[in-house]
Amino acid sequence: MRKTLPALIAHIAIILAVIIVMGTLGLIAAGLGAEENDKFTGEIERNVTLRILENDTAKEQGYLEELLNAFNEKYAEYGIKAVDANMDQYTDLEKGGPYGYGPDVLYQANDALMKYVDGKHILPLPIEQLECVDKVGEKAWEAYRAKAGGQEFTFGVPVNIQQPLLFYRKDLLPENWETEWDDDKNGVPDVIENWSDMYRFSQQIRRDSNGAKYGYMKSLNDGYFASGYFLSYGGYVFGGEDGKDVSDIGFSKNDGWMGGRIIRQLASVMNLECTEDTITRNSYSRMAQGTYFATMTTPDVYTLFIKEMVNAGYTEQYARDNLIMTDIPALPVSGDLEDESLGFKDMIAMGGVNGYAISSYTKAPNAALAFVNFATSYGMINRRSELLGISPARSDLAEALGGLNETIKENLDKGSIYVMPSVRALAQVWTPLQTYCATIAKDMLDNKNVYAGAEKLKEGIANVDKQIYDAIHTLGGS
Amino acid sequence: MNKANVKVVKAKTKRVLNVLITYCILILVAFIFFFPCLWLILASFSKSGSIYSFDGFFPAQYGFDAFKSLFTDTVMYNYPRWFANTLFIAVMSCILGTFLTILTAYCMSRFRFKSRKAMMKATLLLGMFPSFMGTIAVYLIMTQFNLINQHWGLILIYSAQAPMGYMVQKGFFDTIPYSIDEAARIDGASNFTVFVKFILPLSKPMLVYTALTSFTWPWSDFILPKMLLIDKDLYTVAVGLMSLGETEFARFAAGSIFIAIPIIVLYFCLVKYMINGMAAGAVKE
Repeated sequence: MRKTLPALIAHIAIILAVIIVMGTLGLIAAGLGAEENDKFTGEIERNVTLRILENDTAKEQGYLEELLNAFNEKYAEYGIKAVDANMDQYTDLEKGGPYGYGPDVLYQANDALMKYVDGKHILPLPIEQLECVDKVGEKAWEAYRAKAGGQEFTFGVPVNIQQPLLFYRKDLLPENWETEWDDDKNGVPDVIENWSDMYRFSQQIRRDSNGAKYGYMKSLNDGYFASGYFLSYGGYVFGGEDGKDVSDIGFSKNDGWMGGRIIRQLASVMNLECTEDTITRNSYSRMAQGTYFATMTTPDVYTLFIKEMVNAGYTEQYARDNLIMTDIPALPVSGDLEDESLGFKDMIAMGGVNGYAISSYTKAPNAALAFVNFATSYGMINRRSELLGISPARSDLAEALGGLNETIKENLDKGSIYVMPSVRALAQVWTPLQTYCATIAKDMLDNKNVYAGAEKLKEGIANVDKQIYDAIHTLGGS
Repeated sequence: MNKANVKVVKAKTKRVLNVLITYCILILVAFIFFFPCLWLILASFSKSGSIYSFDGFFPAQYGFDAFKSLFTDTVMYNYPRWFANTLFIAVMSCILGTFLTILTAYCMSRFRFKSRKAMMKATLLLGMFPSFMGTIAVYLIMTQFNLINQHWGLILIYSAQAPMGYMVQKGFFDTIPYSIDEAARIDGASNFTVFVKFILPLSKPMLVYTALTSFTWPWSDFILPKMLLIDKDLYTVAVGLMSLGETEFARFAAGSIFIAIPIIVLYFCLVKYMINGMAAGAVKE
């Protein structure tokens, strides 16, 4: 009995201590939640280090170093030091952020950044304090808006617009293209203006080379690029006015199924590698070797193509003069590459808006905001465009630069770029879509022709919608 | 030719044929195992760097570019730093892991204490589960100890997990006669003296084996460093090589070849101790 009483008291004391500690921690956490909205006081924190997560290309091309040096010089009086976070460019803030290992400022695509909104891993930003607020188009801002507690907030600052572009070798065009491949005599080869001519040109290349060379080549199973064929014929990812209604999956809606027919036809001028990722990886070398005439990818990998052409023995100048990036070709209204009778329409491609967001775990939100403001200024984005070849989201700069930059900006404004919905459920879209695209491409190449008819294609894409719905609503992707 | 000569010739032919077939099979098997290594070595000398620019199965042009860039182009991929990190983690894990494993095995072999059998069974059972099963738990524990993004976090995990495989070492200690311990104790030796002065010198081959296995695991592990290391400058070679870009295959191959070097050096340095140790106990003179 003597021993039990002190033991009991000791146990009670330990339990009380645990409760007190837990309670205190809970109160601190609640306090933090309340403070979250008041983080941007406008008073820049002094003597802090900001960890900036940028993409590999920015680092490789020396842009990040320039940006950090310029910012550090400007804010030297505050003692702020922005440094390279030196992490994987796809670092998941959800994983390390809460424990204090994430970056303070992140540059990623809108779908990657906006998935952090649910867990409150990124801060809603007072964008009215930013210089670029009225320079960036409304469509680009939309990609970073989300509702929280009934109110709409902006969680990121657009930097550049990502749109798939057609990459082709100008020097591989036939010498007589002006007479043979320019029906409208506009001085632009038809093969890069519409998919029907690209398809026919690809057939010709394969015939002339006995199958050793190819025209257009692309991994058709890549959902990001392949989705454009469905979107162009009235399909959509998620329904609702804002395109975020995850209960309505719409790749099969309207004439979306026609996208499947286009994919089958394109597969017929490729080989089985188009059903998996090989072409995505080998297109740099194969384009450099002249085995492929064209492919579709995003502009941020332009330097990789140039590097491979130089490795293949061309001079850099020759490579830059002949490796052309251009807007993606138009699709036939009929939804059939062999039927041009109804004319052509712009292809709608899945795209994105890359931008900056600020981690909720940063200890210097105001300094981080100052960095974002600086990094999205006209001068820095212009430099970024020069070095990395990005298409700026700033309208003033896009207009000043002109050319493809202006076209991409216009594409975004007129809806030819379908911005990836900024919802977490988007992650559940890719696998079913990828499987379907690979299946129909393989079906064509193996001459099985199960998906040769419209009905089967309609059934197939409707099944994709169902699989996506099930994945979202059973795996909790919404 | 008489009958005896025919017999001799036949036997000789049979022997030659036997040797010939054995050699053919051995060469074939050796080739099958060696070919991937050869291919990787040749790929590392590819001039273009990309696997897709190969002329068929082998590189179209050869050069030292990949090896050069591996050690000089460190802006994006700091291979020398990754190599040094891996070496540090592996050496420290090897020292601590060997020490703990040998102590555990000695303890289980020589001492009789309460729950000894239960502990042995428990470790045997736990050892059957793959180590990556506990990765999430390990991650959370590491966050609490502030050991994420630190080499010491990895070293502690490797060292702490090493004694789980003490069974081999225990088996070895069991073969050392207990009478040696008893004789030493009669002469006044403590447990520690018995272990250090009598058991350890007899256990060289097992020490070498334990050290080698304790070194190779952290040297080539991918899962734990991938999970715990965030800063690129702290990466190990395995994680770093996986982060290489799509067109950097030759650099990947060159990096892969280089990571084999410490293991080979260690093996050649330590193998004589293993053989000497094994041979020492084999015959009584």
